[in-house]
Amino acid sequence: MESTYVKIQLFSFSLDALPRVTCPNHPDAILVEDYRAGDMICPECGLVVGDRVIDVGSEWRTFSNDKATKDPSRVGDSQNPLLSDGDLSTMIGKGTGAASFDEFGNSKYQNRRTMSSSDRAMMNAFKEITTMADRINLPRNIVDRTNNLFKQVYEQKSLKGRANDAIASACLYIACRQEGVPRTFKEICAVSRISKKEIGRCFKLILKALETSVDLITTGDFMSRFCSNLCLPKQVQMAATHIARKAVELDLVPGRSPISVAAAAIYMASQASAEKRTQKEIGDIAGVADVTIRQSYRLIYPRAPDLFPTDFKFDTPVDKLPQL
Amino acid sequence: MDADSDVALDILITNVVCVFRTRCHLNLRKIALEGANVIYKRDVGKVLMKLRKPRITATIWSSGKIICTGATSEEEAKFGARRLARSLQKLGFQVIFTDFKVVNVLAVCNMPFEIRLPEFTKNNRPHASYEPELHPAVCYRIKSLRATLQIFSTGSITVTGILLYRYQTCQLWIE
Repeated sequence: MESTYVKIQLFSFSLDALPRVTCPNHPDAILVEDYRAGDMICPECGLVVGDRVIDVGSEWRTFSNDKATKDPSRVGDSQNPLLSDGDLSTMIGKGTGAASFDEFGNSKYQNRRTMSSSDRAMMNAFKEITTMADRINLPRNIVDRTNNLFKQVYEQKSLKGRANDAIASACLYIACRQEGVPRTFKEICAVSRISKKEIGRCFKLILKALETSVDLITTGDFMSRFCSNLCLPKQVQMAATHIARKAVELDLVPGRSPISVAAAAIYMASQASAEKRTQKEIGDIAGVADVTIRQSYRLIYPRAPDLFPTDFKFDTPVDKLPQL
Repeated sequence: MDADSDVALDILITNVVCVFRTRCHLNLRKIALEGANVIYKRDVGKVLMKLRKPRITATIWSSGKIICTGATSEEEAKFGARRLARSLQKLGFQVIFTDFKVVNVLAVCNMPFEIRLPEFTKNNRPHASYEPELHPAVCYRIKSLRATLQIFSTGSITVTGILLYRYQTCQLWIE
């Protein structure tokens, strides 16, 4: 895919009295432009009339399989001005050669001039969001959504007093929820310096400020993540999903957080299969306390035979499941 | 749907919070030394005084503002506040009992049935907010009465607000 780039060639001008060139033999003829050679040719007699005209073709060609980072036809940074408005300033980059450092080891021409000082905090927050998302390997679309949310909240200024990091963490949480892949508060807490309480407070405030609401979390949202972290095979994961869903449908666990129910279901499924996991391991991954899993497990244990999927292969039969 | 509007739901007021002013500056140190049943919190700058007769805990600031909590009804709150002002008067301060205002009333109520929180939240979208990770109850805000209800899955409900005419609770439940 070619991109346009204007190339200005040096050429000497002879100022014509006429603004347009015409063929001397055929003054009425409309000249044809040959852009490859840079000529204006008379179609009647083939005389090359104009010479060295400006070539508006591109200088470099970029193809779609080339590295996206290196595009010689572009000037300027490829930041999207949708998020941080007014991105047309020049920064002084770090020096590369030896000459760019003065006698103390400091770089000459230091301080990249503060650009967009009005949104300095926002740029900082975006950087923080990217760092946080990177720690838990979140895809780019969630990060973009988070950035958008943060921008909306920031412009509204209703949460101006709160720490930017807290708002950023809460935006990250909301973005994950909105994309259908919720992360628990504890997981966001693990990559952020803000306490769970503060993130929760900011979360509620942001929902009120932006007047949106989010869907409730279900047990199935977390199954694939927890199970793969525990290296459980696919059948166990499907069994655990089934157990948790059934438990919620039958309302065996009223008032229990879906995370706790999911953890208990994983425990039951793993104990019934060949790959057994202890409560402590599951609690570590899910961020749920040991005793909480025990409590939820006690609630679902009586109905264990009904909860398992029909085609499940039991390594440990249902009546031999551990009873806590 | 249990149309239990005939069944009288007992709704108990558990706490009434009120504020009043004594129009004079109070010397906290003197109250702390001479008053009975007081706790002086010097780092924050207030004195806690607990009364036995209406079971009340009052937070006294040196500016003369007093917050009174723990009363079981509004009249009791007023009695307790007056009694408190009287005890401060006995200590020698020129107390004038002004600006008595009930700030918050907390009541609990028990439904005879359990409540399924996720369905309830879905049906009452704008008012109800449920966040299982943060708090095990649904927070239902009623703007017209400026009241907040915390609904637990066991059926017990905590009502917080200023006006307490919440007897139309029954009509809201969808179970």
